[in-house]
Amino acid sequence: MAMGRYIIKRVLISLPLLVTISFFSFILNQLSPLDPAEVILHAQGVPNITSELIAETKARLGMDQPLLTRYVQWFVSCLQLDFGNSYVTGKPVWSLLGPAFLNTLKLTLVSVIAIIALSITLGTICALREGKWVDKSVRGIFFLLTSMPSYWLAALIVWYFSVKLDLLPTSGMDTYQSYILPVTVITISFAGIYFRIIRSSMLSNLNEDYVLYGRACGLPESKITLHLLRNSLQVAISVFGMAIPVILGSTVVVENLFVWPGLGTLSVKSILSRDFPIIQAYVLVLAAAFVIFNTFSDIVNAALNPKLRKDH
Amino acid sequence: MNKNVAILLSALLISMTLLAACGSNKTESKAKANKRTELVYATAKDINDMNPHLYAGSIPAQGIVYESLVENTKDGITPMLAESWDISPDGKTYTFYLRKGVTFHDGEPFNADAVKKNIEAVQSNKSKHSWIKLSTKIVSINVVAEHTVQLVLSEAYYPTLLELAMTRPYAFLSPKDFSSGGTKDGVNGFNGTGPYKLTEHQTDQHAVFEANESYWGGAPKVKKITAKVLPTGETTLLALQKGEVNFIFTDDRGTDSLDVQAMKELADSGDYQIVRSEPMNTKMIVVNSSKAGSPVQETAVREAIWYSIDRETISKQIFNGTETPANTLFSSNVNYAEVELKKRGYDLETANKLLEKAGWILENGSKIRTKAGSQLAITLYYDANSPSQKTEAEFIQSTVQKSGIRLELVGEESSSIAQRRATGDYDMLFNQTWGLAYDPQSTIAAFTSESSYFHTTNGIANATELYTKINKVMVSTDEQTRKLLYADILKIVHDEAVFIPITNGNVTLVAPKSLQGISFKQTQYELPFERMYFQ
Repeated sequence: MAMGRYIIKRVLISLPLLVTISFFSFILNQLSPLDPAEVILHAQGVPNITSELIAETKARLGMDQPLLTRYVQWFVSCLQLDFGNSYVTGKPVWSLLGPAFLNTLKLTLVSVIAIIALSITLGTICALREGKWVDKSVRGIFFLLTSMPSYWLAALIVWYFSVKLDLLPTSGMDTYQSYILPVTVITISFAGIYFRIIRSSMLSNLNEDYVLYGRACGLPESKITLHLLRNSLQVAISVFGMAIPVILGSTVVVENLFVWPGLGTLSVKSILSRDFPIIQAYVLVLAAAFVIFNTFSDIVNAALNPKLRKDH
Repeated sequence: MNKNVAILLSALLISMTLLAACGSNKTESKAKANKRTELVYATAKDINDMNPHLYAGSIPAQGIVYESLVENTKDGITPMLAESWDISPDGKTYTFYLRKGVTFHDGEPFNADAVKKNIEAVQSNKSKHSWIKLSTKIVSINVVAEHTVQLVLSEAYYPTLLELAMTRPYAFLSPKDFSSGGTKDGVNGFNGTGPYKLTEHQTDQHAVFEANESYWGGAPKVKKITAKVLPTGETTLLALQKGEVNFIFTDDRGTDSLDVQAMKELADSGDYQIVRSEPMNTKMIVVNSSKAGSPVQETAVREAIWYSIDRETISKQIFNGTETPANTLFSSNVNYAEVELKKRGYDLETANKLLEKAGWILENGSKIRTKAGSQLAITLYYDANSPSQKTEAEFIQSTVQKSGIRLELVGEESSSIAQRRATGDYDMLFNQTWGLAYDPQSTIAAFTSESSYFHTTNGIANATELYTKINKVMVSTDEQTRKLLYADILKIVHDEAVFIPITNGNVTLVAPKSLQGISFKQTQYELPFERMYFQ
């Protein structure tokens, strides 16, 4: 019962959040000193942009309407799941954003799985061997790897694995092999942070009474580790839950390097060409992803830990 | 710090250095793995919307799929889809006799009716084509016979054939692909008459063009061309080394699409060749002669800047010789550009004298000249996405300072620079001429256009005379008169130093050594792939 109410409450809170986010991104887009109609015509490659053409374009795209009217119009059609057409190509926004979103999502999910697997393994090993050389060297190596800029790391591994060893494609999204290098780059830059969270949460759990009890009762070490892991994962779940939207939104560099036809590539292109309908939908999708995954991890945590439910 | 960690870290560092060090010798033979009948070229941008009547698409891609009535070559206008033509004595009516037996890629016949439909589709979207003056002169297009069409103009317009030869908008798409009778709101297919057909397109990934076996000019020997989207820089270079890509060229992004140093290394490896065309365009600094309150309103200041630029060094150091120093707005291989003009080289002494004479003086130990209390400070805008422009700007900043001019540099997005040019909100900015085939007429027509160079030219003393001459030259039917008018126009803008030339750019391409028949068109935007073959 309490759980159901909790979920409803969370979902209701997130709706005004989405409206606010979309409104602010709408306003922020208008702050650019450039005339959007002109930038759009520029992006369409029109060689000579006359003032008549600008006026014509503005009227066609409804840019001559007041800001608030435009926002309301946009919002109302969004509620009807109509995100409009791209200003630059004239194609429906979803036909562009949909595939890009799926491509990025695929990359993100594979990366998140790799990150979770790697972080849990490393975190557990390091916590159990705290202060030993394994712990220190793993932390050292990942400290080094995480601090490398991803574009540099990417260039290095592409050069080694694709060009020199000739094992993998340098870029693109053609076969499952194409996933290996970008996923590696993303994993390296995120796992270094997440495994530390697991490690420290396990360490703090190690000092809990139940571990002492378990040991005193003569439970085998492997069983104790399992309990430790389950309790430590609670912290990790919210972190991983947030990792998905964070990676979704931060693949720009990796996508550009590996020519991954995803959200990062599309959003940069749209921002440079002031393709509002796409930018707006992109912001909305990302914001929704943040809200959804955040809510999701809160709910999972609440399910695991009744203490959290009481607070609300 | 723990000793073990230190050892491990250093081991890691050493292995990485080793990895990097032993690399350079093994990459050469990869290019040989390329299939011999295929070209895969890297392009920074997707081929985009291939509609030949709009401007979003990649010009090199449109150029191999679509064709025009006539072609612009070194020897002038030659037949393409029109085998011959007549021009009425008053210069207003052009009659074209079309090539027979030509079909679009979808099997539709290319005939007078298709020509009429295409040109009418272009004309119905006039406001987008204002740069091409022909679009404002066409009155009607009439079908005379199955393979004869008549183009009627409102007045004589000498660049008619030149403008019909351009990649767009007067190129021909199968009328079956028209959407609701036209092309301005999108098309249903991309069937042209050209040597290649577009057979596959994955947005932002790649596009595949296959040889048109029934091409009227004979089937091309290179059977498949793939345009692969790759960002410039490291990724492209790695793809070239691996052989995933075997062809690159300066596309519409110009010089910045190739890394000069990397190209040289590839050529040195022995599998690739570098081929360069003759000059295709001029990179220049455009000076806003009508900017109120700016020192650049003065001819002397503009000339002094011209004299303070060391083009030789820019060409050698910044472009590694891929661009050559330019001393005039148009290089001499451009039509009508063989004009005797005042020579202005890199000459700081003259620059200083000019400024001194104009009243800009160096006051007690100051490094920047002043006049009536205001400093000789000028802002130069460059495209923040162009590494070469930034380097050039910094270099020019250092040399003009020797003449007592303070140059402030501002890097902006290209669309922002275009907007500055259109509104006149700039002192100076980087630009380039439209390029061969479009030079001189399109660039010069842009002198009068509000969104292009109107602000640049409007502040000079004889602006009205300049504009009158430009309007006259476009409608003149006599070759000799045109020559004289162009000479006058070029002399005016040269003497006023509103367009300060820096370098001449060309088309540079990197191709497998075994690729033969490489030539260039009379435009920097297209390559004649159909003439290439593998040895």
